[in-house]
Amino acid sequence: MELQKFSYDNRMTRNFAIATIVWGVVGLLMGLLVALQIFLPWMNFGLEFTTFGRTRPLHTNAVIFAFVGNAIFTAVYYSLQRLLKTRMYSELLGKIHFWGWQSIIVAAAVTLLAGFTTGKEYAELEWPIDIAITLVWVVFGWNMFGTILQRRTSHIYVSIWFYIATWVTVAVLHIFNSLAVPVSFLKSYTLYAGVQDALVQWWYGHNAVAFFLTTPFLGMMYYFVPKISGRPVYSYKLSIVHFWSLIFLYIWAGPHHLLYSSLPDWLQALGTTFSVMLLAPSWGGMINGLLTLRGAWDKVRRDPILKMFVVGITAYGMATFEGPLLSFKSVNAISHFTDWTIGHVHIGALGWNGLLTFGMIYWLVPRIYNTTLYSTKLANIHFWISTLAIVFYAVPLYIGGITQALMWKQFTPDGFLMYPNFLETVTQLIPMYAIRAFGGFLYVSGFFILVYNIVMTIKAGSFVADEEAQAPALEVMPVGKTSSESGHRFLERKPIRFLIFATIAILIGGIVEVIPTYLIKSNIPTITSVKPYTPLELQGRDIYVKEGCYNCHSQMIRPFRSETERYGEYSKAGESVYDHPFQFGSKRTGPDLAREGVKTGRNYKPDAWHYNHFIDPQKMNEASIMPAYPWLAIKEIDIQSTPGKIRAMKLLGVPYPDNYEHQAIADLKAQADSIAKNLATAGIQTDSNREIIALIAYMQRLGVDIMNKPVKE
Amino acid sequence: MHTNDEDQLNKQEEIHHEVDDATQIKYFGGDHEYDGIKELDNPLPPWLKYLFYVTIVIAFSYMMLIFVFEDDDFVQHKEYRKEMIAARAKTDEAVNEEATKAATVAPPSKEEILAAGKTIFDKTCLVCHGKFGEGLVGPNFTDDYWIHGGNPEDLLKVVNEGVIEKGMISYKSQLNKTQINNVIQYILSLQGTNPPNQKAPEGEKFVKN
Repeated sequence: MELQKFSYDNRMTRNFAIATIVWGVVGLLMGLLVALQIFLPWMNFGLEFTTFGRTRPLHTNAVIFAFVGNAIFTAVYYSLQRLLKTRMYSELLGKIHFWGWQSIIVAAAVTLLAGFTTGKEYAELEWPIDIAITLVWVVFGWNMFGTILQRRTSHIYVSIWFYIATWVTVAVLHIFNSLAVPVSFLKSYTLYAGVQDALVQWWYGHNAVAFFLTTPFLGMMYYFVPKISGRPVYSYKLSIVHFWSLIFLYIWAGPHHLLYSSLPDWLQALGTTFSVMLLAPSWGGMINGLLTLRGAWDKVRRDPILKMFVVGITAYGMATFEGPLLSFKSVNAISHFTDWTIGHVHIGALGWNGLLTFGMIYWLVPRIYNTTLYSTKLANIHFWISTLAIVFYAVPLYIGGITQALMWKQFTPDGFLMYPNFLETVTQLIPMYAIRAFGGFLYVSGFFILVYNIVMTIKAGSFVADEEAQAPALEVMPVGKTSSESGHRFLERKPIRFLIFATIAILIGGIVEVIPTYLIKSNIPTITSVKPYTPLELQGRDIYVKEGCYNCHSQMIRPFRSETERYGEYSKAGESVYDHPFQFGSKRTGPDLAREGVKTGRNYKPDAWHYNHFIDPQKMNEASIMPAYPWLAIKEIDIQSTPGKIRAMKLLGVPYPDNYEHQAIADLKAQADSIAKNLATAGIQTDSNREIIALIAYMQRLGVDIMNKPVKE
Repeated sequence: MHTNDEDQLNKQEEIHHEVDDATQIKYFGGDHEYDGIKELDNPLPPWLKYLFYVTIVIAFSYMMLIFVFEDDDFVQHKEYRKEMIAARAKTDEAVNEEATKAATVAPPSKEEILAAGKTIFDKTCLVCHGKFGEGLVGPNFTDDYWIHGGNPEDLLKVVNEGVIEKGMISYKSQLNKTQINNVIQYILSLQGTNPPNQKAPEGEKFVKN
């Protein structure tokens, strides 16, 4: 066989690796900042751009899409060429992919801090950026499939199966979850409302974890673990079984983020059951990774890079055991809305994503710079600091989460809540938050060791832009399946067919769950007393979304005695039908607000209280950890945007009267004046055109509608 | 042509049937080699396979319970109703027990009442009335001006029913009778304490009748 000479392009690998490190610094520092802000309100610095509601989405977006995203591309651009014995398909597409992705990250950082957000977790970016993401993702796929199709190997390796599944699923999730009606250049309303929006969002959110944080990293694991250890993959058969079962089952599990919410029971049941069935397929990946190291454990003892992979894969095993556990309703009743969830995701994020990325960088950078790692000792220190950091990070959050949940549920013997004041349950957590922040500090410190080590490595080496390689040309394969090859082996040499099968596998769950929720009326029973928001309330709601209130406050009272006693009647599906986007929230750092406006309710506060509380929460309650929002009393409501917003809502099916957009501004002003007048009676002088007025109007509307008439279940 | 290709594939399968030195497991045959990475011909670990079967059985039993049998413990509005009924029964029992106990035990001292009242005040009232009752959004408790009257029965009425138009909610369902009495005694004890940052007087000067 004649050997063909060609070269691997290392430029994009290098670019993505450096971007991974740079955004790693940013994302981890943002993480440390929000960890401090959560128990030290002054760390919000009294500025809208640096307040938790905006910094927390920046942290999550930066670590997921910037740090992990670039790590994925580093792995793909390095391993794809070598696994397929070919150069990347197009340098130009690679450049567009790289610079496009980095521009998206910069745009994301700027817009998130400026308060442009869709209010949907991990999908906060506004519509122009969403379109850019879609285009860049297509470029990435084009470059990847171009490379696959010009390969010199007959079959595609398991890493590439995972890359393919990642590519198609992320595309589907991103496009369908981001569908929205634009109101202006950086403001849109999501296509879906309330419970439907929640379902689509968590179908997306859960599978962003699955197909952005899990499958590409499994692909990475399948390449780097055998490469670094020099050991064969433990079981090809296991690869096949766990790959297909994982991608098929994962997509169904989204509703486990909405257990005990107003999501219909049947959807919740699917969320629970498919999560339980995910355990073995997830562990299949862990087993195949760890058992590949059989016969190389002496190497693991000596090599910090392999140690990172081992602890990372183990963290994956722990997180994927905990996932199904948290999907049981009885466990979820305790864990949900608490810090337990935050601890759980960080086992995956810091352990699995973080350590695998570090390991990959330590191994790959010296290779493309034709040198050895500057210091193995420093890498070893980094490994130990990171591992310790994970313990310091997660343990206090588990303790804190369970403590708080139990306090929420505690009753006195004569039937009253033991801790009726929500704040009491928060004060308990402060020491835990401090320890968690220390864990975060350790993790960041470790990362700076990596930065130093890699900079020194790069300085000592010389970059190999084009790495010479040779391989025999691809022989012509039979078109159909031969009698000696298995069906799956046949599929492995038919990448387009593989893509189609993977697409079918990931679509089924979503179709079964989403479509009936739209078409079958009984899933969301109508409540006639629920009416659209007034123009002022709508503006107030947009401010609520803009300030990221959903990061700390839920709007979803679960059907538990401990919640209905604390907050009032539990939330019904028909209540949120005009909510674009839904604001159920996923964490209660502060109390639930679903019935905040109900005058006969437990949590009712007068307008004046809200005013003072927004401006200086600690004045109302010394121990409060809520940041202050003084600018709300200074900034004016964007009144001129009102007609456009009403029109967009009408387009989405919200039943405002005909031509209401012309009436909207007058109605808004009248309602704002009456609130300002009410504040004046309490001795607060303010203009009626301030944002705080709109937000108060929204607060006082929350949960009110169904109290107007008795509801039937 | 076609058969030649098949022969070639078959030949490759045969050539690669080597054994891994470290584990003595057969490599997967054929062209299972990618950038030097080989794959072993191990079966699925049996325990993992059975774990998968068990989770499937659990999942389907769970679905049967909810979709077919509509079990009370899995349909959430039924679950809620059950929880509320059970809680009510338990609470009634506890309240009765408390009442029998209270009849035999000596009544608490003034100090005990005020201390208990302060605990409730600090949890519940201070948010609107200030840490020392100096007034914040709600009125000042330390001067002798009262909006709704300063007799214990006036305070009781406000705590029980609330003054919704002013933002004072009803606490009837959050505090029991003893707790309400304790906190009222505590509030009345604040009269004339003269803390800093007092809110201006509201209502009318109160003369005890």
